[in-house]
Amino acid sequence: MAEIVAAALTSHAPLITGRPDIARPEQRDRLYAGFREVARRIAAARPDLLVMFVNDHIQSFPYSNMPAFCVGLADAYDAPSAGASRLMQIAPRKIRGAPDWSLALLECGLAGGVDFAYSYELETWDELAVPLHFLLPDGRLPIAPVYTNCGAPPLPTPARCRDVGAFVGAFVRSRPGTERVALLATGGISHWVGTPETGRINPEWDHRVLDDVARGDVDRLAGLTWEEIERDGGNGGQEIRNWIALLGAVPGWKGEVLAYEPVAEWITGCATVWVRP
Amino acid sequence: MGAPVIRTSYRLNKVLTAIARQHRMAATLTDEDLAGHALSDEERAALKTGDTTRLYQLGANPYLIRRVFRSRFSL
Repeated sequence: MAEIVAAALTSHAPLITGRPDIARPEQRDRLYAGFREVARRIAAARPDLLVMFVNDHIQSFPYSNMPAFCVGLADAYDAPSAGASRLMQIAPRKIRGAPDWSLALLECGLAGGVDFAYSYELETWDELAVPLHFLLPDGRLPIAPVYTNCGAPPLPTPARCRDVGAFVGAFVRSRPGTERVALLATGGISHWVGTPETGRINPEWDHRVLDDVARGDVDRLAGLTWEEIERDGGNGGQEIRNWIALLGAVPGWKGEVLAYEPVAEWITGCATVWVRP
Repeated sequence: MGAPVIRTSYRLNKVLTAIARQHRMAATLTDEDLAGHALSDEERAALKTGDTTRLYQLGANPYLIRRVFRSRFSL
Protein backbone atom coordinates (compact mmCIF):
# COMPACT_ATOMS: atom_id res chain seq x y z
CA MET A 1 0.00 0.00 0.00
CA ALA A 2 1.08 3.56 -0.66
CA GLU A 3 1.88 5.48 2.50
CA ILE A 4 2.61 8.95 3.85
CA VAL A 5 6.19 8.73 5.11
CA ALA A 6 6.87 12.37 5.98
CA ALA A 7 5.03 15.64 6.54
CA ALA A 8 6.20 19.17 7.23
CA LEU A 9 5.00 22.76 7.37
CA THR A 10 7.16 25.76 6.52
CA SER A 11 6.82 29.43 5.78
CA HIS A 12 7.68 30.93 2.42
CA ALA A 13 8.80 34.51 1.77
CA PRO A 14 11.00 35.83 -1.03
CA LEU A 15 13.30 37.65 1.38
CA ILE A 16 14.21 34.45 3.27
CA THR A 17 16.61 33.66 0.48
CA GLY A 18 16.61 37.05 -1.24
CA ARG A 19 18.01 39.12 1.60
CA PRO A 20 19.80 36.93 4.13
CA ASP A 21 22.05 39.91 4.85
CA ILE A 22 19.35 42.09 6.43
CA ALA A 23 18.06 39.58 9.01
CA ARG A 24 19.59 39.31 12.45
CA PRO A 25 22.20 36.56 11.99
CA GLU A 26 21.02 34.51 14.97
CA GLN A 27 17.42 34.51 13.70
CA ARG A 28 18.46 33.69 10.16
CA ASP A 29 20.74 30.87 11.28
CA ARG A 30 18.11 29.30 13.54
CA LEU A 31 15.52 29.36 10.78
CA TYR A 32 17.94 28.01 8.18
CA ALA A 33 18.87 25.23 10.63
CA GLY A 34 15.17 24.39 10.90
CA PHE A 35 14.89 24.13 7.13
CA ARG A 36 18.00 21.94 6.99
CA GLU A 37 16.59 19.60 9.64
CA VAL A 38 13.34 19.21 7.66
CA ALA A 39 15.48 18.47 4.58
CA ARG A 40 17.43 15.83 6.46
CA ARG A 41 14.27 14.14 7.73
CA ILE A 42 12.56 14.18 4.35
CA ALA A 43 15.62 12.61 2.73
CA ALA A 44 15.79 9.98 5.48
CA ALA A 45 12.16 9.04 4.80
CA ARG A 46 13.10 8.15 1.18
CA PRO A 47 9.93 9.48 -0.48
CA ASP A 48 9.10 8.88 -4.14
CA LEU A 49 6.94 12.00 -4.41
CA LEU A 50 6.41 15.33 -2.62
CA VAL A 51 2.79 16.49 -2.50
CA MET A 52 2.71 20.23 -1.82
CA PHE A 53 -0.13 22.33 -0.40
CA VAL A 54 0.64 25.84 -1.61
CA ASN A 55 -0.96 29.04 -2.87
CA ASP A 56 -0.73 31.41 -5.78
CA HIS A 57 0.07 35.11 -5.25
CA ILE A 58 -2.08 36.44 -8.13
CA GLN A 59 0.68 35.32 -10.47
CA SER A 60 -1.07 32.45 -12.20
CA PHE A 61 -4.68 33.17 -11.50
CA PRO A 62 -6.14 36.57 -12.42
CA TYR A 63 -9.39 37.98 -11.12
CA SER A 64 -11.08 36.86 -14.34
CA ASN A 65 -10.64 33.22 -13.34
CA MET A 66 -9.92 32.41 -9.69
CA PRO A 67 -10.04 28.76 -8.59
CA ALA A 68 -10.53 27.86 -4.94
CA PHE A 69 -8.50 24.65 -5.33
CA CYS A 70 -6.34 23.76 -8.32
CA VAL A 71 -4.29 20.66 -9.10
CA GLY A 72 -1.06 21.25 -11.03
CA LEU A 73 -0.69 18.97 -14.05
CA ALA A 74 2.54 20.43 -15.41
CA ASP A 75 5.48 18.27 -16.44
CA ALA A 76 7.75 20.65 -14.51
CA TYR A 77 7.55 23.77 -12.32
CA ASP A 78 9.77 26.82 -12.10
CA ALA A 79 11.40 26.91 -8.68
CA PRO A 80 12.18 29.72 -9.30
CA SER A 81 11.60 31.26 -12.72
CA ALA A 82 14.30 33.49 -14.20
CA GLY A 83 12.35 36.59 -13.17
CA ALA A 84 11.75 35.45 -9.59
CA SER A 85 15.33 34.28 -9.35
CA ARG A 86 16.58 37.85 -9.24
CA LEU A 87 14.50 38.75 -6.20
CA MET A 88 15.00 35.44 -4.38
CA GLN A 89 18.72 35.21 -5.16
CA ILE A 90 18.55 31.54 -6.05
CA ALA A 91 19.37 30.08 -9.43
CA PRO A 92 16.48 29.41 -11.81
CA ARG A 93 15.63 25.74 -12.06
CA LYS A 94 12.81 23.40 -12.99
CA ILE A 95 11.52 20.69 -10.70
CA ARG A 96 9.79 17.73 -12.26
CA GLY A 97 6.05 17.37 -11.74
CA ALA A 98 4.08 14.17 -11.36
CA PRO A 99 1.33 14.73 -13.94
CA ASP A 100 0.04 11.15 -13.96
CA TRP A 101 -0.33 11.13 -10.17
CA SER A 102 -1.89 14.59 -10.19
CA LEU A 103 -4.33 13.66 -12.95
CA ALA A 104 -5.40 10.63 -10.93
CA LEU A 105 -6.00 12.90 -7.91
CA LEU A 106 -7.99 15.30 -10.09
CA GLU A 107 -10.17 12.52 -11.52
CA CYS A 108 -10.69 10.97 -8.10
CA GLY A 109 -11.71 14.39 -6.77
CA LEU A 110 -14.19 15.05 -9.56
CA ALA A 111 -15.67 11.58 -9.07
CA GLY A 112 -15.78 11.97 -5.30
CA GLY A 113 -17.10 15.45 -4.63
CA VAL A 114 -13.99 17.66 -4.69
CA ASP A 115 -14.26 19.73 -7.84
CA PHE A 116 -10.64 20.78 -8.29
CA ALA A 117 -9.68 23.12 -11.09
CA TYR A 118 -6.54 22.11 -12.94
CA SER A 119 -3.65 23.82 -14.71
CA TYR A 120 -0.99 22.58 -17.11
CA GLU A 121 1.09 25.75 -16.68
CA LEU A 122 1.52 27.63 -13.43
CA GLU A 123 3.51 30.79 -12.90
CA THR A 124 5.09 30.07 -9.56
CA TRP A 125 6.56 32.46 -7.04
CA ASP A 126 8.12 31.82 -3.64
CA GLU A 127 5.62 29.14 -2.59
CA LEU A 128 7.75 26.46 -4.27
CA ALA A 129 11.15 28.02 -4.84
CA VAL A 130 12.08 29.25 -1.36
CA PRO A 131 11.25 26.16 0.70
CA LEU A 132 12.49 23.76 -2.01
CA HIS A 133 15.80 25.62 -2.16
CA PHE A 134 16.42 24.21 1.32
CA LEU A 135 14.40 21.01 1.21
CA LEU A 136 15.25 19.60 -2.24
CA PRO A 137 18.77 20.86 -2.88
CA ASP A 138 19.32 18.36 -5.67
CA GLY A 139 15.82 18.90 -7.08
CA ARG A 140 15.39 15.24 -7.96
CA LEU A 141 12.16 14.42 -6.12
CA PRO A 142 9.07 15.06 -8.29
CA ILE A 143 6.43 17.38 -6.85
CA ALA A 144 2.63 17.38 -7.07
CA PRO A 145 1.29 20.80 -6.07
CA VAL A 146 -2.27 21.44 -4.89
CA TYR A 147 -3.04 25.16 -4.95
CA THR A 148 -5.54 26.79 -2.60
CA ASN A 149 -6.74 30.37 -2.98
CA CYS A 150 -5.26 32.14 0.05
CA GLY A 151 -4.72 35.56 -1.53
CA ALA A 152 -7.80 36.76 -3.39
CA PRO A 153 -10.81 36.77 -1.07
CA PRO A 154 -13.41 35.47 -0.69
CA LEU A 155 -11.39 32.35 0.13
CA PRO A 156 -12.42 28.75 0.80
CA THR A 157 -13.09 28.27 4.50
CA PRO A 158 -10.38 26.71 6.66
CA ALA A 159 -12.82 23.89 7.41
CA ARG A 160 -13.15 23.17 3.70
CA CYS A 161 -9.34 23.24 3.38
CA ARG A 162 -9.11 20.63 6.15
CA ASP A 163 -11.63 18.45 4.33
CA VAL A 164 -9.90 18.79 0.96
CA GLY A 165 -6.63 17.89 2.68
CA ALA A 166 -8.33 14.84 4.20
CA PHE A 167 -9.47 13.85 0.71
CA VAL A 168 -5.90 14.16 -0.61
CA GLY A 169 -4.58 12.10 2.31
CA ALA A 170 -7.13 9.35 1.68
CA PHE A 171 -6.26 9.42 -2.02
CA VAL A 172 -2.54 9.01 -1.25
CA ARG A 173 -3.22 5.99 0.92
CA SER A 174 -5.67 4.43 -1.55
CA ARG A 175 -3.12 4.17 -4.35
CA PRO A 176 -2.03 0.71 -5.41
CA GLY A 177 1.64 -0.11 -5.10
CA THR A 178 4.21 0.95 -2.56
CA GLU A 179 4.47 4.68 -3.25
CA ARG A 180 6.19 6.59 -0.44
CA VAL A 181 4.73 10.09 -0.28
CA ALA A 182 5.98 13.14 1.62
CA LEU A 183 3.62 16.05 2.28
CA LEU A 184 4.72 19.67 2.53
CA ALA A 185 2.60 22.76 3.16
CA THR A 186 4.15 26.22 2.77
CA GLY A 187 2.98 29.70 3.78
CA GLY A 188 2.22 31.81 6.84
CA ILE A 189 2.50 32.36 9.64
CA SER A 190 1.48 35.98 10.37
CA HIS A 191 2.46 38.64 7.88
CA TRP A 192 0.95 41.72 6.33
CA VAL A 193 1.93 42.17 2.66
CA GLY A 194 0.97 45.17 0.55
CA THR A 195 -1.58 46.40 3.08
CA PRO A 196 -1.24 49.61 5.10
CA GLU A 197 0.18 47.43 7.91
CA THR A 198 2.92 45.92 5.73
CA GLY A 199 5.75 44.70 7.93
CA ARG A 200 3.61 43.87 10.93
CA ILE A 201 4.12 40.43 12.51
CA ASN A 202 2.03 39.00 15.37
CA PRO A 203 4.18 36.50 17.32
CA GLU A 204 1.40 35.92 19.86
CA TRP A 205 -0.93 34.64 17.16
CA ASP A 206 1.88 32.66 15.56
CA HIS A 207 2.49 30.87 18.87
CA ARG A 208 -1.21 30.11 19.17
CA VAL A 209 -1.17 28.55 15.70
CA LEU A 210 1.99 26.59 16.51
CA ASP A 211 0.47 25.37 19.79
CA ASP A 212 -2.56 24.06 17.87
CA VAL A 213 -0.26 22.37 15.38
CA ALA A 214 1.80 20.83 18.20
CA ARG A 215 -1.39 19.38 19.69
CA GLY A 216 -2.64 18.25 16.30
CA ASP A 217 -5.73 20.38 16.92
CA VAL A 218 -6.69 20.94 13.31
CA ASP A 219 -10.31 21.53 14.26
CA ARG A 220 -9.52 24.71 16.22
CA LEU A 221 -7.59 26.03 13.24
CA ALA A 222 -10.33 24.93 10.87
CA GLY A 223 -12.83 26.91 12.94
CA LEU A 224 -11.05 30.21 12.34
CA THR A 225 -12.86 32.71 10.16
CA TRP A 226 -11.38 34.86 7.41
CA GLU A 227 -12.00 37.92 9.57
CA GLU A 228 -10.15 36.46 12.58
CA ILE A 229 -7.15 35.46 10.48
CA GLU A 230 -7.07 38.79 8.67
CA ARG A 231 -7.20 40.68 11.98
CA ASP A 232 -4.63 38.59 13.88
CA GLY A 233 -2.44 37.05 11.18
CA GLY A 234 -2.75 39.53 8.34
CA ASN A 235 -3.49 38.84 4.70
CA GLY A 236 -0.40 36.62 4.58
CA GLY A 237 -1.70 34.67 7.57
CA GLN A 238 -4.51 33.41 5.33
CA GLU A 239 -1.89 31.03 3.92
CA ILE A 240 -2.26 28.80 6.98
CA ARG A 241 -5.02 27.22 4.88
CA ASN A 242 -2.18 25.18 3.34
CA TRP A 243 -1.07 24.00 6.79
CA ILE A 244 -4.66 23.15 7.70
CA ALA A 245 -5.06 21.10 4.51
CA LEU A 246 -1.92 19.11 5.32
CA LEU A 247 -3.05 18.50 8.90
CA GLY A 248 -6.37 17.31 7.49
CA ALA A 249 -4.48 14.72 5.44
CA VAL A 250 -2.84 13.16 8.51
CA PRO A 251 -5.50 12.96 11.24
CA GLY A 252 -4.03 12.63 14.71
CA TRP A 253 -0.53 13.64 13.68
CA LYS A 254 1.18 16.33 15.75
CA GLY A 255 3.68 19.05 14.97
CA GLU A 256 7.19 19.41 16.34
CA VAL A 257 8.27 23.01 15.96
CA LEU A 258 11.87 23.00 14.74
CA ALA A 259 12.18 26.76 14.36
CA TYR A 260 10.09 29.86 14.85
CA GLU A 261 11.47 33.32 14.21
CA PRO A 262 9.45 36.51 13.75
CA VAL A 263 11.88 38.10 11.30
CA ALA A 264 10.95 41.77 11.02
CA GLU A 265 13.30 42.34 8.09
CA TRP A 266 11.59 39.58 6.11
CA ILE A 267 8.17 40.86 7.25
CA THR A 268 7.12 37.34 8.19
CA GLY A 269 6.61 35.10 11.21
CA CYS A 270 8.75 32.25 9.89
CA ALA A 271 8.54 28.63 11.03
CA THR A 272 9.55 25.11 10.14
CA VAL A 273 7.53 22.27 11.66
CA TRP A 274 7.88 18.52 11.39
CA VAL A 275 4.57 16.63 11.57
CA ARG A 276 4.40 12.99 12.65
CA PRO A 277 2.09 10.33 14.11
CA MET B 1 -9.95 49.62 13.67
CA GLY B 2 -13.12 47.74 12.93
CA ALA B 3 -13.37 44.20 11.64
CA PRO B 4 -11.64 43.62 8.31
CA VAL B 5 -13.95 43.64 5.32
CA ILE B 6 -13.46 42.15 1.88
CA ARG B 7 -13.52 44.87 -0.71
CA THR B 8 -12.54 44.06 -4.25
CA SER B 9 -12.28 46.36 -7.24
CA TYR B 10 -12.06 44.25 -10.36
CA ARG B 11 -11.12 47.35 -12.33
CA LEU B 12 -8.09 48.07 -10.15
CA ASN B 13 -6.99 44.45 -10.04
CA LYS B 14 -7.30 44.13 -13.81
CA VAL B 15 -5.00 47.07 -14.48
CA LEU B 16 -2.54 46.06 -11.75
CA THR B 17 -2.43 42.50 -13.09
CA ALA B 18 -1.72 43.81 -16.59
CA ILE B 19 1.19 45.91 -15.32
CA ALA B 20 2.53 43.17 -13.04
CA ARG B 21 2.56 40.76 -15.98
CA GLN B 22 4.88 43.13 -17.82
CA HIS B 23 7.24 42.62 -14.85
CA ARG B 24 7.17 46.34 -14.29
CA MET B 25 7.51 48.15 -11.00
CA ALA B 26 6.74 51.81 -10.63
CA ALA B 27 6.35 54.52 -8.01
CA THR B 28 3.47 56.07 -9.96
CA LEU B 29 1.54 55.16 -13.09
CA THR B 30 0.86 57.34 -16.11
CA ASP B 31 -2.16 57.99 -18.31
CA GLU B 32 -0.45 55.83 -20.91
CA ASP B 33 -0.28 52.93 -18.43
CA LEU B 34 -3.98 53.30 -17.72
CA ALA B 35 -5.15 53.80 -21.31
CA GLY B 36 -8.09 51.59 -22.20
CA HIS B 37 -8.93 50.73 -18.59
CA ALA B 38 -12.30 51.76 -17.18
CA LEU B 39 -11.56 53.35 -13.80
CA SER B 40 -13.29 55.77 -11.48
CA ASP B 41 -11.67 59.15 -10.95
CA GLU B 42 -10.68 58.09 -7.44
CA GLU B 43 -9.10 54.84 -8.66
CA ARG B 44 -7.23 56.64 -11.41
CA ALA B 45 -5.89 59.24 -9.00
CA ALA B 46 -4.67 56.60 -6.55
CA LEU B 47 -2.85 54.73 -9.33
CA LYS B 48 -1.29 57.90 -10.71
CA THR B 49 0.01 58.99 -7.32
CA GLY B 50 1.02 55.51 -6.18
CA ASP B 51 -1.15 55.88 -3.07
CA THR B 52 -0.89 52.31 -1.79
CA THR B 53 -3.10 52.87 1.25
CA ARG B 54 -5.89 54.37 -0.83
CA LEU B 55 -5.57 51.58 -3.41
CA TYR B 56 -5.99 49.04 -0.62
CA GLN B 57 -9.03 50.89 0.71
CA LEU B 58 -10.53 50.99 -2.78
CA GLY B 59 -10.23 47.22 -3.17
CA ALA B 60 -6.92 46.57 -4.91
CA ASN B 61 -5.37 43.23 -4.00
CA PRO B 62 -2.44 43.86 -1.62
CA TYR B 63 -0.18 41.32 -3.38
CA LEU B 64 -0.69 43.23 -6.63
CA ILE B 65 -0.14 46.55 -4.85
CA ARG B 66 3.16 45.26 -3.53
CA ARG B 67 4.31 43.86 -6.86
CA VAL B 68 3.62 46.99 -8.85
CA PHE B 69 4.48 49.61 -6.24
CA ARG B 70 7.31 47.73 -4.50
CA SER B 71 9.44 50.86 -4.34
CA ARG B 72 6.78 52.47 -2.13
CA PHE B 73 7.48 49.99 0.67
CA SER B 74 10.46 50.44 2.96
CA LEU B 75 10.60 46.73 3.77
